[in-house]
Amino acid sequence: MRTVDLFDNYLEGKLNAQELAAFELRASSDPVFLKALEEHKTLIGILNTSNERQILKNKLKHIHSIEFGKEAKIISINKPEKFTKRIGKTFMVAASAAVIAVISTIALLSTGGYLLEKQDIKITDLGLEVAGLKSSQNAIVRKLNSKEDKPFAAANLEGSAFALNNNGYVITSWHMVNGADSIFIQNSTTERALTKIIFNDPALDIAVLKIENEEVSKAWQVPFTFNSRIAEVGEEVYTLGYPRQDVVYGEGSLSSLSGYSNDSAMYQVSIPVNPGNSGGPVLDSQGNIIGVIRGKITTAEGTGFAVKSTEIIRSIASVEGESVKSELILNNTKSSLKKLKRSEQIKRINPYVFNVLVYKNN
Amino acid sequence: MLKPKVNFSDNDFVEGLKVGDDQVLKALYKKYYNLVLKLVVSNSGSSEAAQDVYQETIIILYEKCQDPEFKLSCQLQTYVYSVARNLWLKHLKKHGKTGELKEYHQDVFEDASLDTKAHLKKEESIDKVYKSLEELGEPCASLIKDFYIKKMNMEEISEKFGYTNADNAKNQKYKCLQRLKRLYFENFTIVD
Repeated sequence: MRTVDLFDNYLEGKLNAQELAAFELRASSDPVFLKALEEHKTLIGILNTSNERQILKNKLKHIHSIEFGKEAKIISINKPEKFTKRIGKTFMVAASAAVIAVISTIALLSTGGYLLEKQDIKITDLGLEVAGLKSSQNAIVRKLNSKEDKPFAAANLEGSAFALNNNGYVITSWHMVNGADSIFIQNSTTERALTKIIFNDPALDIAVLKIENEEVSKAWQVPFTFNSRIAEVGEEVYTLGYPRQDVVYGEGSLSSLSGYSNDSAMYQVSIPVNPGNSGGPVLDSQGNIIGVIRGKITTAEGTGFAVKSTEIIRSIASVEGESVKSELILNNTKSSLKKLKRSEQIKRINPYVFNVLVYKNN
Repeated sequence: MLKPKVNFSDNDFVEGLKVGDDQVLKALYKKYYNLVLKLVVSNSGSSEAAQDVYQETIIILYEKCQDPEFKLSCQLQTYVYSVARNLWLKHLKKHGKTGELKEYHQDVFEDASLDTKAHLKKEESIDKVYKSLEELGEPCASLIKDFYIKKMNMEEISEKFGYTNADNAKNQKYKCLQRLKRLYFENFTIVD
């Protein structure tokens, strides 16, 4: 037997007790033999390590593609062609599995912003003029800040959205705008503005819209930043949204680091959320965005869910195409809200939180 | 419907990696990806670079966990962040980029740099072996890999490479290995 074969047998544990004793005796008495053994071990060790690293790396790549890959998360809708054409070329290929997963989740959550529900819950209570709104889709919605009487058809669906950056991009819930023919946003400082969908992530239930008229966002100075860290349980949080025609403030605390059925992409918050809150921001006491309101459990009051800002950052970072990517960069100048009183924070945030009006033809 | 355990402690992760639990590996991977992504992307890296750095980080942690004596001496998150940070700093330095790093975690575990260094040194050795294998050419390179990595036996190798018998294959493997050692080691020790 050649010494090399002896080395191999030794390393593979194939020597019997007697052979092993002889082997060890030689290794301890013959420095050349020992040195050759060490070299052999080193070389074979490197081959094995390289192989193990490769196997592990493949495993991690597989995990990555499932958990964070484009196939899994950044997909778009399977909508009639006229819709795709209308909003242009930024759409990505659909993957039906994720769409089904999202739809089934939404079915379990009450995430809608239906106008009719809104009237029943909110507007009737507050004694606003609701009769017209309730009657049909042709009802008239008054503009929030309208000085002139310019009527618009009632939206099929309403909810909230907020600014992503100073480039005129806003973020909202995907379930709100999925299948829309046209989407408008408005608030007390921004007149009804048409938007188009730029990006969506059905798995996270988020969509990014762009205001078509660039004049609208010309003077934007978004005051908040997206928190890149996981928030902590017990933190004080608040939201602004449009469960009715005026912006509504809601506060509470972060109750859990996971959302509905342990979804780790969501937080549970103890903020009373209502239809129409979907797509609104969740902020911490410093005025950082920590999430986007997604929905609530139908069976429990005061329990809302929000998609984590960390997930949003990740999702948006995965968008392909340099030009789109540079436009989508999240606002990350230092939050200018940190030391302000809550009421002052809200004053500055309000212009960047919107009421979303979604129209569907079918 | 049964759901896999979601909230692993640091110790769960380490123990899981020790026994090669794929569920744990997956949960671990999901847990800190965003942190490393943020670190790399905000410090002039692409998301592809972030993915590479993160996977390298997990490999380092995984290999550390194979040592039965290994114990975490800081929070797992700190460890992951520190290793990824070291890897990314190395990368930046290699490409002549210096300057303040935008940080996304409060603590850095200094000793992690030793693990990173050891890992990269081994990576260099791997490169060197593969270069030597390339120089060695075929069929030697495949023969060595089949025997030492794929753990094929001499009968299988003999059949694959068309040698007349296992002894003949063993002889070829011996010659190939000697040549590989000569290429890899500066002063290769000859015993027989």
